[in-house]
Amino acid sequence: MQSISRRAVLAGLLAVATPAFAQTTITDSRGAQTFDAIPQRVIALSWAVVEQLVELDVPLLAVADPEGYGLWVVQPALEPGVENVGRRNEPNVERIAELKPDLIVISDDQGELAPVLERIAPVVHFTLFSLDHDNAAATRTSYLELARLFNREELARERLAGLDAHLAALRGKVERHFGPDLPKVTAISLMDQARVRVHGGNSTSEAALLALGLDPAFPQPATTWGFVQKRVEQLGTLEDGIILNIEPFPDAELLFASPLWNAMPFVRAGRFARVKPSWTFGGAFSIGYLAEAFTEALLTIEP
Amino acid sequence: MTTRIALCLIALLAATLIHLGVSSPLPLAQKWALATGLDPDLFEEVRFYHSVLPRLAMALLAGAALGLSGAIMQEATQNRLASPMTLGVSAGARVGFYAATVFVPGLAAAYGEWFALAGASATMVLVLAIAGRQGIGGLPIVLAGMALNLLLSAVAVALIIMNEFYVRHLFVWGAGDLTQIDWQGVSWLWPRLLAALPFALLLARPLTLLRLGEQGASARGVPIVQVLGLALLVALWLTATVVAIVGVIGFIGLIAPNIARMAGARSTLDRLATSIALGAALMVGTDAIALYGSNFTADMIPSGATAALVGAPALIWLAARQMKARDHLRFFLPKGRDRMSVPALCLLALVAAGLLAASFAVAVTGEGWRVEWPSELVFALRWPRIAASAAAGIAMAIAGVVLQRLIRNPLASPDIMGMTSGATLALVASAILAGGSIHESGPGIAILGSAAVLGLLILFGRRTDYAPGIMALAGISLAALLDAIVQFAIAGGGEQAFAIIGWMSGSTYRVQADQAMLLALGAVTFLVLGLIARRPLTLIIAGDALAGSRGLSVPAARLGMLVFSATVTAAVTSVMGPISFVGLISPHLASLLGARRAAHQLFAAALIGMSLLTVSDWLGRSVLYPAQLPAGTVAAIIGGSYFILLLARRPR
Repeated sequence: MQSISRRAVLAGLLAVATPAFAQTTITDSRGAQTFDAIPQRVIALSWAVVEQLVELDVPLLAVADPEGYGLWVVQPALEPGVENVGRRNEPNVERIAELKPDLIVISDDQGELAPVLERIAPVVHFTLFSLDHDNAAATRTSYLELARLFNREELARERLAGLDAHLAALRGKVERHFGPDLPKVTAISLMDQARVRVHGGNSTSEAALLALGLDPAFPQPATTWGFVQKRVEQLGTLEDGIILNIEPFPDAELLFASPLWNAMPFVRAGRFARVKPSWTFGGAFSIGYLAEAFTEALLTIEP
Repeated sequence: MTTRIALCLIALLAATLIHLGVSSPLPLAQKWALATGLDPDLFEEVRFYHSVLPRLAMALLAGAALGLSGAIMQEATQNRLASPMTLGVSAGARVGFYAATVFVPGLAAAYGEWFALAGASATMVLVLAIAGRQGIGGLPIVLAGMALNLLLSAVAVALIIMNEFYVRHLFVWGAGDLTQIDWQGVSWLWPRLLAALPFALLLARPLTLLRLGEQGASARGVPIVQVLGLALLVALWLTATVVAIVGVIGFIGLIAPNIARMAGARSTLDRLATSIALGAALMVGTDAIALYGSNFTADMIPSGATAALVGAPALIWLAARQMKARDHLRFFLPKGRDRMSVPALCLLALVAAGLLAASFAVAVTGEGWRVEWPSELVFALRWPRIAASAAAGIAMAIAGVVLQRLIRNPLASPDIMGMTSGATLALVASAILAGGSIHESGPGIAILGSAAVLGLLILFGRRTDYAPGIMALAGISLAALLDAIVQFAIAGGGEQAFAIIGWMSGSTYRVQADQAMLLALGAVTFLVLGLIARRPLTLIIAGDALAGSRGLSVPAARLGMLVFSATVTAAVTSVMGPISFVGLISPHLASLLGARRAAHQLFAAALIGMSLLTVSDWLGRSVLYPAQLPAGTVAAIIGGSYFILLLARRPR
């Protein structure tokens, strides 16, 4: 109670001191959130929202597991000096409180942490991955909402237009490489020798491939996170089309040397390529990075 | 004997044919041609030759090795419940391998089996030391194995959490999966198994003589210690090599030798040979079930999980058949002090309060260590966690005191008796089936699970007068069943797997203020109820006859105490996840300090349990800062290690 009133007083003071800045209201997964000032000390706890904030040039105070981010997400790179606040599923709330943020951005499963985090600072939560919407479209909406909060809508629209132009250019590259008869392509993430995630409906990977004008080779129904887990050998039923494996894949040497893998029709036909590490559970710009990585891999395949 | 061998071979052949039928759609004639030299060409043919056949061969080898390993252990210990799983040896091998993979990945890839063997041997030595000479042939060794299983799985969870991405690919391996993509695994395994076979056969005769008893055997010139040592080493080697390549597959090594006995195999050689054949048949059969099940789900079903689904009920059935009503355990702890004075109790309370205050005031921060009373905000973030761990510690300690008095067994506790497993099983199953988050499942479901275990305990216990053996074995089987179901969930992949592993390790992270309040209130209520029931708690430990003669209705008191401890366990589990060892060691420590009267023991154990979990939670928040370890995992590692030290220093 006391902290809220203190915040109200502070907000009031700020409103008096900076009459030029009007209130901003944005919509997150829980409804309208009103801010009296542009947040300056921002902590983001899910990698998908980290990406969106970095792409808005918002300086981040801290994120969850920056080391893992560097390994799995890679792009857009974090600025050096970003603090670590623990793991993504159990971020260290005391450390977060200590850093005195004025905004905490979270997404998806982290929603259940919102009541606790709200004691520390205002929270914005987005549901980015859901069966109820198209994930690729939802991430643009949340990006624009965040842009409004930071008063950077123009920049955001520029960046999105740039992204679309970039995707169109990549699509041109792919079309020039394969000619008018475009192949069907599906992206996978091999987990180990036995299991594989096939990125299907509602995945950022499929959105990236569709943006390149490529239909799925191994269509899968839409799911919340956009992937379906299968046994590796089930890939052998695939008659034609290209398969791209998104790395990192620790068992690569073992599996790729095995007779079983080399007997897969798509491997025999030379219609397989490895894709450099790219985050498959990110936002709009991840689709761009994925499309870039896919194009790079696709260009190594004979048309 | 010839009929039995023929029957075993028929079973083996049938299982093999079923496996072949389920695993590949090719016609049998073509399979034969491929197996005998036809060059595979089409994908399905390559898959058959390089994946299906090696998998079958791996199932045969692993099953045979586990069957033999279990049979040797049972012969050496003269205990029908001994097996690589029940003695904790498989878990030891697994942790040895995990640790090597995490800390020395280069060496682990090349010499994984030696790390597995080291882990298995260390576990075996500990189990033997805990059970002592008297305990080898009976339940104590199995209970010691069970306790080590709990400790080792906590260590495995800590390793997984500390290296989230790195060991992610170990998940399926941990579940015991037979998937093969070439013949490398098989050609690695068979010479290593073959090397052990002559030793096993050589040991058959001296092991037979051991049945005469120690004196009889030494009279005939059997060097007992050497024979036992060699026998166990052979069994450990077999288990460790199998674990290093396919992961932990329980129950085969337990069931195969028992079926061999029931089928009438008398001589040791006969039993070993029959166990090899039956182990192979069982493994191939359960793997065929796993393969068949995989047809209906996109997910892969780990073979180890199906083995446990088949094996756990078999173990209960076996236990119910074998255990006699008054199979009391010979198991003593160090004497300790005889009585605890009231000032001493007050001092204990003071220490506990000091620890509680310290866990509020001492913390790692971004700027290093700080000793100060937390700010209003940090206090609001911190107290639900501390309150929940303190309350859970009190509650589990009380449940432990009640169960240990009831069963008159210092190894009885809610975790070892399967009550924690029951509640966990219900919560995990409901999260998987309903698809919701495990953190949202309510206490109602947990109580349902605990009550189901309770129902089983009463069902089995009634006929045998609540013999401690049945109770403990039901717990072991349920824990294994739970493990199987959790492995199904984890093999399904996705973020849910991590959520469940996190929850299973007993974290206070998500405890809300209202839950913490409720749990604290519950803990106080349980303590008061326990203190009110101090008379029955005092009488029941003195023996049924004495308790009855003093006017206690023994059956009613037993039922009441079981219901009470099941409720306490369910309440704690639904808030914090499963908590092991606190309920086991707090009552011990209390009586070591001299708190032997019911009221004193309840009070002292509650203080000790509270301190143990609060300190664990504090360590979990501090050690990996800013990342955190779950309180339950830390408590299991501390409690488990202390427990083993305690047992190792026990007077003989």
